Amino acid sequence: MDQPILEARNVNKHFGTFHVLDDISLVIPAGSIYGLLGPNGAGKTTFIRILNQITAPDTGSVQFNGRDIKLGDTASIGYLPEERGLYRKMKVWEQAIYLCRLKGMSKAEATNSLKDWFTRLNMKSWADKRVDELSKGMQQRLQFVVSVAHGPELLILDEPFSGFDPVNTEELKKEILRLNEEGTTIIFSTHNMASVEELCSEITLINKGQNILSGKVDEIQRSYSKSIYGVSFKGSQVAFANALGHQFEIENLVEKGELSNALIKAHSSMSTKDLLGSLIQQVDIVSFSEKLPSMNDVFIDMVTPKSEVA
Amino acid sequence: MGGTIGLILGREYFSRVRKKSFIIMSILGPLIIAGVMIFAFWMSLEESENQKILVVDDNHPFFTELEGNETLLFEVQDISLDQAEALLDVSDFTGILYLPQNILQSKVGELYFKKQPSFKVQRRIEESVQQYMEIRKLEEFDITESDYRRLKAPFTLLTFQFDSSSGRMEETNILPAVVGLVFGILIYLFIFMYSIQVMRGVIEEKTSRIIEVMISSVKPFQLMMGKILGVGAVGLTQFLIWVVLSIVIFSVGQSVILGDKYVAGADQGNVTEMVQSEMDADNQLNITKMSQDDNLFNSIRRVNFPVMIAVFLFYFLGGYLLYSALMAAVGSAVDSDTDTQQFIIPITFPLLLAYILSFSVFENPSSGMAVWLSIIPFTSPVIMMIRVAFGIESQDLWQVYLSMGLLIITFLGTVWVSSRVYRTGILMYGKKASFREMIKWIRY
Repeated sequence: MDQPILEARNVNKHFGTFHVLDDISLVIPAGSIYGLLGPNGAGKTTFIRILNQITAPDTGSVQFNGRDIKLGDTASIGYLPEERGLYRKMKVWEQAIYLCRLKGMSKAEATNSLKDWFTRLNMKSWADKRVDELSKGMQQRLQFVVSVAHGPELLILDEPFSGFDPVNTEELKKEILRLNEEGTTIIFSTHNMASVEELCSEITLINKGQNILSGKVDEIQRSYSKSIYGVSFKGSQVAFANALGHQFEIENLVEKGELSNALIKAHSSMSTKDLLGSLIQQVDIVSFSEKLPSMNDVFIDMVTPKSEVA
Repeated sequence: MGGTIGLILGREYFSRVRKKSFIIMSILGPLIIAGVMIFAFWMSLEESENQKILVVDDNHPFFTELEGNETLLFEVQDISLDQAEALLDVSDFTGILYLPQNILQSKVGELYFKKQPSFKVQRRIEESVQQYMEIRKLEEFDITESDYRRLKAPFTLLTFQFDSSSGRMEETNILPAVVGLVFGILIYLFIFMYSIQVMRGVIEEKTSRIIEVMISSVKPFQLMMGKILGVGAVGLTQFLIWVVLSIVIFSVGQSVILGDKYVAGADQGNVTEMVQSEMDADNQLNITKMSQDDNLFNSIRRVNFPVMIAVFLFYFLGGYLLYSALMAAVGSAVDSDTDTQQFIIPITFPLLLAYILSFSVFENPSSGMAVWLSIIPFTSPVIMMIRVAFGIESQDLWQVYLSMGLLIITFLGTVWVSSRVYRTGILMYGKKASFREMIKWIRY
């Protein structure tokens, strides 16, 4: 495997007596879209701030491209914070140039890059406006542009879609995927599990300051599989139930016209081959699929205190 | 690092000097200052109609002849004050000068008038009486006038100190001192105005939530210093514009009001006597004394403006860095302007105190209080400005050096402490800020 772009090793952070980050370690492969998940107050933002060197960890280290992260690396990192803003009285173009130059670009480089971005995202017409004259959606676009215009290797997006309308969300997703295809590694912190499944290849789930789950999204889903299958069929429900035998249990059965939809749970590791073999003789199978748990289910399952699980 | 601070400084600077309010203030400030000065001068210049003063001398015949001029006439009559008052109504006398029995000791006379005479007339009367008393005393002690002239120079300084309470000799020195007071008040205003601007800027960055984007690119210290230096540069620019515009307005006002004749006269005759007091010439912390016949414009020329401006720049910058760093820390700790009052008042209290006490320092610039306040860094920018305007004796120069040194050490200290509070404060939201909390942040 290639060298990871970022690696956190045993990162600890306290605020007073409060242990915000408890020995967090994780590896972010170069070129991935990496999900950083966790409920509110889990320590995600603090961890992201450590990656951005806004705060320093009490103990532990962060490696960037195989060596200790240093101040100059901020020029290779783009950051769209959850709580984001702009200088309200400043003009759009001026502000974009300013923020790019703070990332270490020369004025000419900033101008070139911003021209491309402004054209691509249809922002040219309001380059001369003041930020407080822009709509919220326009401001969000500008915020996104200034976080990527310096061409970072690593882009950190903290709840990027919060407050975005569906049109802007789609456009943003498209840009994120495009950047990723061009080689940008993306860290994606969110509550929105649907977008995690859609975009992320790997995730880490942080709860109460601890890394409670790391891995590839599909592997996690598979390992949390509860062996539930969805079957749609035509025919007698009684015959269907009989064909299942004792190895399977019907969790749910809904009739829709002549079609029946069933959710069945396997009790043991009986292979689906045998199941389908016996079912086919009794009913007409329209569809059959394994129901993998959604990331949402995994998330809720992992962060809910066990005593509360009924 | 330097480049980053420079970038931030540039934004802070240009975003402010391009504001309408800055341009208006820059033009209005000197117009108001020059306007007030020119108006005051014009009022004092305006000779009221001829004055005929009835002199009531309780020691009659002591003041037999007082020297007047074309527009000021004295007439001595041997009558009581009551009689004179009765006469004033029915005669063409414009006023009564009452010289009581103990005048040689008290050196206080009284002037009764129908219509307020100009300041210049009052001063002329004072001078006449004083001059006359001096001549009579010379005779009394059998001193020749040439002996007296020789004696006079060393005496000037003594009379200045002695008479400062009665306010008469202040005439000779009042202008440099007034300029000092004005500069002191300017320092107070500038430090206050611009350090509050720093605080507002920090709050703006915090409430608009740009702060997190900023500090993912630059260090909090760079952001804070860039802002402080940028806003400070705005203050200096404003001051520079004020100085230049004031000089222009003043020169124009001078030639318009006085005309060529007066200006020419000022260059030749009026500057009769300039006595350099015992100052350290190397440090140019000199004041010059002037003859009493000087007019306002000549007096203004006497002010050692290069020194005053240099001292102003040093103490403005030092005081501004000290207070603006503290204000930046306050701005970082609060969520909105409305929470700042509880911090602004205690932090700026020493500055306010310096401003209030500057008037009593103006009255007595060498008092122990004045010396202490001019050394303590939180008050020194305002107070030392006034003391320098009065002139610092060479044996007291160490106080200036000590004051400057302490100011530098203190602002380095406040910048350090504030930057520690700042880097924690800017990321804190919804937490009720307090001094106790801020002290905790210093140690984070």
